[in-house]
Amino acid sequence: MIEIRNLSFGYEDELILKNISMEIKEGSYTAIIGANGSGKTTLAKHLNSLLLPAKGSVIVDGIDGKKDQGSVRKKVGFVFQNPEDQLIYSIVEEDIAFGLENLGIETKEMKIRVKNIMKGLGIENLAKKNVNMLSLGQKQLVALAGILVMNPEYIVFDEPTTMLDSKNKKNIMGIIEKLNKKDKIGIILVTNIIGDIKDSGNVVILNDGKVIFNDKKSKLNKNILKKAGLDV
Amino acid sequence: MFRKMTFGQYTHKNSIMHSLDPRIKIISVIILSFAAFLIDSYPRMIIFSIFILLLTILSELKLSVLLRSLKPFFFIFLFILSMYILFSRNELANGILAIWKFVLLISIASVLTFTTTITNLITAIEKLLKPLEIIRINTRNFSLLIALTIRFIPALFLYADRIKDAQNARLGSMKKPKQIKIFAIRLLDRIFSSASTVSDALVSRDYNEKRVSYFNPIKLKLKDYLHLLMLIIIVFFIVSKTTHL
Repeated sequence: MIEIRNLSFGYEDELILKNISMEIKEGSYTAIIGANGSGKTTLAKHLNSLLLPAKGSVIVDGIDGKKDQGSVRKKVGFVFQNPEDQLIYSIVEEDIAFGLENLGIETKEMKIRVKNIMKGLGIENLAKKNVNMLSLGQKQLVALAGILVMNPEYIVFDEPTTMLDSKNKKNIMGIIEKLNKKDKIGIILVTNIIGDIKDSGNVVILNDGKVIFNDKKSKLNKNILKKAGLDV
Repeated sequence: MFRKMTFGQYTHKNSIMHSLDPRIKIISVIILSFAAFLIDSYPRMIIFSIFILLLTILSELKLSVLLRSLKPFFFIFLFILSMYILFSRNELANGILAIWKFVLLISIASVLTFTTTITNLITAIEKLLKPLEIIRINTRNFSLLIALTIRFIPALFLYADRIKDAQNARLGSMKKPKQIKIFAIRLLDRIFSSASTVSDALVSRDYNEKRVSYFNPIKLKLKDYLHLLMLIIIVFFIVSKTTHL
């Protein structure tokens, strides 16, 4: 379980997250929505210890991000909004293996895991391709493969569909749903597109750095969405 | 122009050059680069160019791709040539030789980057620089820096292209100094934003300064040593003053 307790964070004088407390259960599908500048991405980055709380704490399965960032990152993967900047190496299969090299996994096992992940996502044909030659949708899948191969228990998706066309958007949303339903991976979807939250179980709405809604999706109503400055 | 930028991009083939150990390829590039600068006569240069062309053929690198790699450097060549024409016309032959050497250097570097994946390049640099760890230089950080530079060269040109298109779409012109300034600021902004995300991506994928396992481990074989030996002999023959060329 990810426990966020009284989390506050800001840059210089501006407070971006204001005393946030919430829980994300193992294997759940949580959507974090809010208008631009509401603090969604800042909150998401705390879940992977990319940012550390100025006040409060983020505990992942009993591990405090402030004390052990490496262990938190092994448990929580992060897929960025723009896959262009997430890919480190030039060749698809090598980029997917980047995280495994950092974990010190043996070459033989690395090859098997990379192959299986590519097969699972239907991108085996891209294995030897240069990442600069891929479409944005393909890059997003490679970025996801690079995270999945590390066997995370939770994955944070930061606005994964913003840059994609409708076909790729449908594909990636389908994959996210499958990861949650079939592989029981906890999903944290950060978005400002209401249509993207249809598969989620819980919804958290952020407005001006504060949580104004944290409940089941079925309890969501137009007034709350309007209050958060989101299109209904 | 930028969209067709091909320099620094690996292409998967099953050529002899692809199969060589990346350490040998890096050492070969260093030897060939030095050789290019040592050559001072046209006959030697012709023989050396034929040798480089042979290496290009062995790497199954298409001539059209190689020419595309040279295209972005065209203005540098033109600049060098014009400097010779303007300030030392009687040494124009030397100017042509200098440009020729640049062309060969780019071709040599292209053979390396077209036939070696970034991971192999990183591993090779890491291993070659290992002795520097005695003076506490982290070789993994250093090699990753080079790898990221190579990985992002095409992306950088793509960003430049997009910004230029956006400016042109609103009747901007790169001929005006103000527009060039705007272009440069936008490009720098994009580069810093990218660098920030790349840094986050490295951290989120558990990057650490010591690597213990390799996806593509490299191992020197007999053919690698033979290749290096042959290269040294050929280069020595071309460069050596004892050969009357």
